[in-house]
Amino acid sequence: MNIQRAWAVAWKETREILRDRLFLAMAFVVPTMILVVLSYGLSFDVENIPFAVVDYDRSTLSREYLHRFSDSRYFDFQGEARDVRTLETLLAKGKIRFAIIIPPRFQRRLLADRNIAVQSLIDGVFPYRTQVSKGYIAAINANFNADLINGYLVDKFGLRPDQARAAIQPVQLATRYLYNQAIRSGWSLSSGLIMLVLMVSPPFLTALGVVRERENGSIYNIYASTVTRGEFLLGKLLPYIGISAINVLIVWLLAVYLFGAPFKGQPLFFFFASIIYVICTAGIGLLVSLIVRTQAAAALLTMVIAFIPAMLYSGLLVPIESMSQETQIEAHLFPALYYLRIVWGSFLKGLGWSVLWVDVLALAVYAVLLWTIGFISFRKRPRQ
Amino acid sequence: MVDSDTGSLVEVRNFTKRYRKATAVKGVSLSIRAGEIYGLIGPDGAGKSSLMKAVAGVLSFEGGSIDAFGTRIDSEAAAEQVKGQLGFMPQGLGLNLYPELSIEENIDFFAQLRQVPRKRLAERKARLLAMTRLAPFRERRMKQLSGGMKQKLGLICTLIHEPRLVILDEPTTGVDPVSRRDFWSILAELLRERGITALISTAYMDEAARFHRLSLMYAGSVLTTGEPEQILAEVPGSIVSLQATQQIVALSRLEQHFQQVEAVGRELRTFVPDLPPTAAAAKVSELLQGLEYSQLQTYPPELEDAFIALLYRRKLVHPAQATPATPNTPQAAQGEIPDDPPPKHDGIAIEARGLTRDFGPFRAVDQISFKVCEGEIFGLLGANGAGKTTAIKMLTGILRPTAGEGRVAGADMRRASQEIKERIGYMSQAFSLYRDMTVMENIKLYARIYAVPRAQSRQRIAWVIEMAGLHGVENRLAGSLPMGIRQRLALGCALVHRPAVLFLDEPTSGVDPIGRRRFWEILVRLARTEGVAILVTTHYMSEAEHCDHLALMYAGRIIADASPADMKAALKTEAGELLELTTDQPLKALEVLDQAEFSGVALFGKHIHLLAPDPQQAREHITQLLAAKDIQLLDMQIRVPSLEDVFVYRILSQERAEAAA
Repeated sequence: MNIQRAWAVAWKETREILRDRLFLAMAFVVPTMILVVLSYGLSFDVENIPFAVVDYDRSTLSREYLHRFSDSRYFDFQGEARDVRTLETLLAKGKIRFAIIIPPRFQRRLLADRNIAVQSLIDGVFPYRTQVSKGYIAAINANFNADLINGYLVDKFGLRPDQARAAIQPVQLATRYLYNQAIRSGWSLSSGLIMLVLMVSPPFLTALGVVRERENGSIYNIYASTVTRGEFLLGKLLPYIGISAINVLIVWLLAVYLFGAPFKGQPLFFFFASIIYVICTAGIGLLVSLIVRTQAAAALLTMVIAFIPAMLYSGLLVPIESMSQETQIEAHLFPALYYLRIVWGSFLKGLGWSVLWVDVLALAVYAVLLWTIGFISFRKRPRQ
Repeated sequence: MVDSDTGSLVEVRNFTKRYRKATAVKGVSLSIRAGEIYGLIGPDGAGKSSLMKAVAGVLSFEGGSIDAFGTRIDSEAAAEQVKGQLGFMPQGLGLNLYPELSIEENIDFFAQLRQVPRKRLAERKARLLAMTRLAPFRERRMKQLSGGMKQKLGLICTLIHEPRLVILDEPTTGVDPVSRRDFWSILAELLRERGITALISTAYMDEAARFHRLSLMYAGSVLTTGEPEQILAEVPGSIVSLQATQQIVALSRLEQHFQQVEAVGRELRTFVPDLPPTAAAAKVSELLQGLEYSQLQTYPPELEDAFIALLYRRKLVHPAQATPATPNTPQAAQGEIPDDPPPKHDGIAIEARGLTRDFGPFRAVDQISFKVCEGEIFGLLGANGAGKTTAIKMLTGILRPTAGEGRVAGADMRRASQEIKERIGYMSQAFSLYRDMTVMENIKLYARIYAVPRAQSRQRIAWVIEMAGLHGVENRLAGSLPMGIRQRLALGCALVHRPAVLFLDEPTSGVDPIGRRRFWEILVRLARTEGVAILVTTHYMSEAEHCDHLALMYAGRIIADASPADMKAALKTEAGELLELTTDQPLKALEVLDQAEFSGVALFGKHIHLLAPDPQQAREHITQLLAAKDIQLLDMQIRVPSLEDVFVYRILSQERAEAAA
């Protein structure tokens, strides 16, 4: 290994990148864009759900019942409709996601101590949102019922409101959310997306960097000279690791300052682990570059083999534990999972070396493996 | 270490290279001696690049052996051992350089890769930059260089570590003639000074004289090997040229007796094998009895003639490639077809008036003006990047001119109606064929695209197949056809709607000499018998001879505009005769003559060319000059100048005029 020659390759590569504005923009703008766009676009918080009502009763109680919905921060009241048919049109057009229909004689029946059914129509196209909406509606309805009973007990038996409450709900559930206290998906998502960004950008750049040389024919300068493949690969890797290191800082800052994700862990540990991860994902790019011949194919293949599994098998969208047995094995074969643990561990849980060293080790093994395969399959005297 | 058994630096034996199932090179053997410039000449697909890459140790191969510097190149490790003494420049003008880096940074990078010590690098860089006249531009980015400059920079980068053997793959393809000459003289000087050996490939047959020894390659095999003179001697015979009044009739008659007959502009050029000049001339006159002709002349055959003769001899020519363009129909033999000189079309088919196009601050085409008459073949010549394609795009209405106008059939192409556009045929640089469709399907598709009426389409398609010589391949996939046939198919597709004006952008690039000749034959027939106006671009200077009229483009401008004969005549009046000198020390002689301020001094292998107004006087002067330096003048002959000689002279005059202004 001759460091001077490796350095010559790295220096040449750096200057090319710095002067090629399109490539430079791609190196820094694309990661930022992925993070920002997906953080806003992929939010799983169900808030501000638009809804409308039809109130056939128009009584004090029916209004009070409806107020509980329009006052909730989860719902966004769009107004009162004349009849059910209007509601159906609104639902079909997607203007509202659910509707509440209060039948006539709502108040009269309740005051007469009889039960009554309130109808709720919910848009079921997106099951996750539907479930959450249904949960909220049920909770508000239960709350209304509890208050009614509460009032009844106070009136009928002269109990104090707190006594009445204790009578209705003898056991109360006290929940405390850990790590993401406000259960804002933005915190988990913006930090988790760092995993995705660093899974896409380094292999993309590395693959294009190598394939570009092959497409142009400048790779022959390497083939025909006495530069060893180790020197070439090292020189090629260094600038992309450098760019990715800067990107780690950028996306970290964005997650913390733009999306308000807390960072509770050790910055140095996180940075170190991220560099290992970047070397690992750049290795995927190297393998891609050995398979394809054109830059377009390199870009496409990187997307397919890096982006999609990282989205699906890392635990970012679906927890690993809720995957099927086989899927869990697949997920463990992919480096994204380990790094996501490091990210969430560092950001939300404040963990460091003592707990996460296994994951760092897994990434390191992965990186060594990928680069070894790349090194072995890189031929200075190829077949074609 | 020179292989002591054979005295050669590189020894290739029975070399075979396969790409998957396709055999690219089969059983090639050659040996390169220390200190020589060895040439590989052949069309695309001959196997030149594969062989060169294998010698450079950057491509593994399936059969045979290669020894370089006494080391057998049979593994990656073995190849690594010799790479320190090798320099390799792959094909493609400047493609192996780094566009974002400056000239100097490119050189430095190559030097670092090769670990040239700093001090030696500084010396070499200074010398090479001065020699190539690139020194003033050392800060300029590679992407802003002209084709000729890129090529010279590529040469510097390949030579910066002073290898013992340089391997250059088509270094002169697509470069303007002046840069090409420059390149050869720089190379010759460097090789001599440093005792470097070179293996160089080219697709231009007329570059053969630059080599000490060469191998003619075709379809993966070597046809023959030797010194240029030896190869010519293998194919004895003479070229007979004449001008016939009824060119097509004469052509058809001669074709029945000779394999190599071509119409070059107004001339008919016939290769008569095995006969000395006088006997050959007599034979041709006998065959043309009853026809009117003039200006009968004889020449020795050129390398391209020898190449084609060898192909026929080895039966390597594809049958479909060898059939004549129009079968000798009875009418043709009886002289009944409407014959040349073409039906007097005086109409101007294409006209450019001050046509200009800017791309940002760059002016690609600078106020060009010319006219093409009906039935005329007009050649637009120039290097890659001279502005030829941009000019054609403006004339066909694809690109809007920044200033000036292009007219076709009298209509301004910016506002031309669809009807006018339908009278144009256009064959672009990359033939736009559908490779996974058959020949017939391609033609039918174009007939529909051009809205050929159903009633006529049958007859038109039959005509296209006839004219382009596509009999027997109608049901083959376009992608499976050899280059030469594919290119005729593309031409046929451009002609299916019977255009009156035809634009051809580099139609023969990469096609072998036989394919090129066949193609030109079709063009000549189209122009002469159908009265089609043809505008064709090419960077093969030798092809320019086929055109009735030529315009030379250089840096976006037209710097010469005349018929080939007039251009040569003008050169003679302005600069004198072309002399070819043979001396015992060509490189030293070159230096002496250059300093004596003769014009057009250039080295061609062992010979030197120069221009002199008075040959007699020049001979005395040259003998004196050379004798003073102990150089012997062995021979001096007057040569017919090629169009390349004309263009080099024109471009240099232009540059001098600009420098003076």
